[in-house]
Amino acid sequence: MTQASDLSSTPRPGRPPLPWLRRLTGTLEIRMGLLALLLAVVLALLSPHFLTSTNLFNLLDQSVVVGIVAIGMTFVILTGGIDLSVGSVAGLAGVILGLALHRFSIPVAIILGMLAGAGLGLVSGVLIGWFGLAAFVATLGMMAIARSLAYILSGATSITNLPEGLNGLVYASFFGLPANVAVLLVLYILAWCYLTYTKGGRTIYAIGSNRDAARTAGLSVIFYSVLPYVISGTLAAVAITISSAQLMSIDPLGGTNLEMDAIAAVVIGGASLFGGRGTLIGTLFGVFIMVMIRNGLNLLGVSAFWQGSAVGGVIIAAVLIERIVSTRSRH
Amino acid sequence: MASDVTEMLVARAIEKTFDRTRALRGAEFSVNAGEVHGLLGANGAGKSTLSKIISGHVTYDAGEIVWRGSRLDVRSPREALAAGITMVMQETSLAPHLSVIENIFLPELGQPGRLSYPRMRGRARDLLDSLGVADSLLLDDEVGSLSAAQRQLVEIAKALAINADLIIFDEPTTSLSPLEVERLFDIMTKLRSQGRALVFVSHRLEEVFAITDRVTVMREGHTVANGVATASLTQTELIRLMVGHNLGAVYAARPEPVQDERVPVLEVRGLCCTPQVRDVSFAVQAGEILGLGGLVGAGRSETLEAIFGLRPRQAGVIELDGKPFAPRKPADAVRAGIGFVAEDRRVQGIVPDFTVRENLLLGHLGAHRGFTLGYSSRQKAIDELMRRLDLSAEQMLDTSILSFSGGMQQKIIIGRWLLLRPKVLLLDEPTKGVDIGTRASIYAILREIAAEGVAIVVVSSDFAELLALCSRVVVISDGASLADLPSAILDEEKLTLLAAPRTSMQQNSRMLRELAEELDGAGFWVLLEEGRVCCLDVAVAQPGADPGFRTGGMPLIGDCLVKTALSCPVNGFVHEPDGSRQTLVVPVHSQRGHDMGAIGITLAGSAPTPSPEAIRSRVQALFARQT
Repeated sequence: MTQASDLSSTPRPGRPPLPWLRRLTGTLEIRMGLLALLLAVVLALLSPHFLTSTNLFNLLDQSVVVGIVAIGMTFVILTGGIDLSVGSVAGLAGVILGLALHRFSIPVAIILGMLAGAGLGLVSGVLIGWFGLAAFVATLGMMAIARSLAYILSGATSITNLPEGLNGLVYASFFGLPANVAVLLVLYILAWCYLTYTKGGRTIYAIGSNRDAARTAGLSVIFYSVLPYVISGTLAAVAITISSAQLMSIDPLGGTNLEMDAIAAVVIGGASLFGGRGTLIGTLFGVFIMVMIRNGLNLLGVSAFWQGSAVGGVIIAAVLIERIVSTRSRH
Repeated sequence: MASDVTEMLVARAIEKTFDRTRALRGAEFSVNAGEVHGLLGANGAGKSTLSKIISGHVTYDAGEIVWRGSRLDVRSPREALAAGITMVMQETSLAPHLSVIENIFLPELGQPGRLSYPRMRGRARDLLDSLGVADSLLLDDEVGSLSAAQRQLVEIAKALAINADLIIFDEPTTSLSPLEVERLFDIMTKLRSQGRALVFVSHRLEEVFAITDRVTVMREGHTVANGVATASLTQTELIRLMVGHNLGAVYAARPEPVQDERVPVLEVRGLCCTPQVRDVSFAVQAGEILGLGGLVGAGRSETLEAIFGLRPRQAGVIELDGKPFAPRKPADAVRAGIGFVAEDRRVQGIVPDFTVRENLLLGHLGAHRGFTLGYSSRQKAIDELMRRLDLSAEQMLDTSILSFSGGMQQKIIIGRWLLLRPKVLLLDEPTKGVDIGTRASIYAILREIAAEGVAIVVVSSDFAELLALCSRVVVISDGASLADLPSAILDEEKLTLLAAPRTSMQQNSRMLRELAEELDGAGFWVLLEEGRVCCLDVAVAQPGADPGFRTGGMPLIGDCLVKTALSCPVNGFVHEPDGSRQTLVVPVHSQRGHDMGAIGITLAGSAPTPSPEAIRSRVQALFARQT
């Protein structure tokens, strides 16, 4: 090699090694974790009821439905897409679950509900990944269709008379954890491993970061653009199954606004809506932050009407702070 | 300094720090009215930052800028425009969905008051006239549909519309063909004679010598040479100033063609991929570096993309190791052992959110079958590769790829494919936006892997690079391959003429056809050099007068059927000793005085000899009108 290469191999003046504190706060998940912790401390100081084990289990319990849907939403947002249909898909999958429960055994009914969710996700995914529709438009359409089908199939009334065994599912416990919380944690661990340690997971990140580069490198761009919507639809069905089992009643309105909560959790968790950036750990903290704000306001006796403002404010603040921090560290 | 020289702008001790990077540390720069001033430096030397500071796109931390004798403190491009300073951007700053005229007057949209389209139209026409390009740009065309060169003309017209006195051209020639570069230089000369100051930021030394009056060289944020007369420098001195030490020859000796009759690793026959690729054929051997030469838009990039499965093909055969190969998607090509370094790194190369390591492993991920990552199986290969690419530091693997310069990123993209040990490596403009130091090491790497038996195909608009790097060059023009020549017998000028789009040669072709038919013989356009004929075009009306070569052919003069006439050009028709043919050779020159080779008219030996004067004046008149 010539002398020239010595010159060229000097990278641009890099960052000096960060002190441990900066390194700690340099990771997004840790920043979000610290924010969740701070929020918990503040709420614990404000309300004596916050730090009771009943309330903490309550918090986890309230995190399950949004948390599961937010996993699928994280996959979708990582590819640079968005899934507005999860709430309606959950509603429709719930109705199908309810109708199936009246005809088939519980496991078969649950599988049918999940297949319905997966199928609806597949339709959105193919429209977006194969036909190139904008994710916003395709899932907006699916959102309307799924909700209307939910009304039609249910006859616009709640489905009750669900088998007792369904309710038993959520009251089972694994290693001291309620079944629904256990499902949430297991799903997060599985999904995190998938995104971090598998070819499919890294492909999803690569697609969101630079689709053309991923394609040029020979990655299966179309398959892994469709897959997140299938996962998202399936997990919407899982979430509604758990919530139906708790309530023992299925409403065609089920899952309304779920997509907004899921998107909010993912965004608070630091994912970029342009794709390629974000983690499930961040998302999980995002879910906790949102649920804690709601729970805390309830405990403090603040009017429920204020919750929207509080959650909205946190979303905007989180993204704003992230934006300021990340433009600094990117230069 | 002579009193008649007016210093238009002086920048003193400019400092600029981005976050933790000191981009400029005491940069000095001054430019006079009526000159073209070259601003040079390796990538990251600060020339772009300085240009952006002068044109108001970036604010500076310390120092001062004096504009026409008084201190100027611009905080936005708008303030700079108001003062009469503008910058023609590398990646153009035009609005693609607006028309040419709307783009030219875009700055006026920021002014209060009503716009008068008829008045703008008149002014736009005057501006384009003054540039001499009124016929080639339609005012109502959408800018998005224009070629890179045309878009640049719009940018220049935009600068003139605000009557800018200082125009900064930031690497204006990167996406232009050699002919378009010449036209740009004509325009720059015209602007200079109007008393404007022009700053020319470029990597290409030949161009700097061709157009600039003085140069300022920057290195690591300092000015190392301030306003030195270009004529007083040699190319070697300039390179030394830019990189701080002697580089040696950037281009090592020209590679010899591989003499090998084995089955080629990659062979393409009659490739068609409409609309850009119509009929491309070539073959490349193991260990060979083949160049695809031609102009931007000739279909070279599209040819590579079709081979790599990025574009659907309408016709043609691709063979890999002698077996048919029909990729439907890039993954097919990757698994078959083909690598592709695309032209635009940012669009098709880097994954910005990934570390260097994962960017290196992206091709592996594409080729890998299996559920998990399989990264660890490549660890040894990565270590080896990093040593080879001279990317030494261990910790850089886990750094974001965005923290590296364009040249380093390019090395990483090339490394991505080397990791897979490809049979064939396709590279599209591998040194675009790469500084001269890194360029040399990219050449070294390519030569090294070719020596290990990889077949390499390079597309480049930089003909000097193509000739130095490749052992053979296939010229592609208007989507068809028309010449396959060893680079040893080519030079930039011949390549330029061969590459000229057939449409711009239409006039000449038509004349050759007309002459051949009228005189019942054959007409040809050739370059004669070192005992060889380089045939640019030929028209045969009378088979008995066939000169014995075809378009794109490069036979020895001694092997032609009209060797006597070609070896001793005189003013009249020359009869071959065997009496079969008689030939008139007319040397031709362009308007700018460039040697354009010779036009020949061959007739059957028995035919009556026409007047050579009439033919000569007709031929020379046609060429004199061309640029």
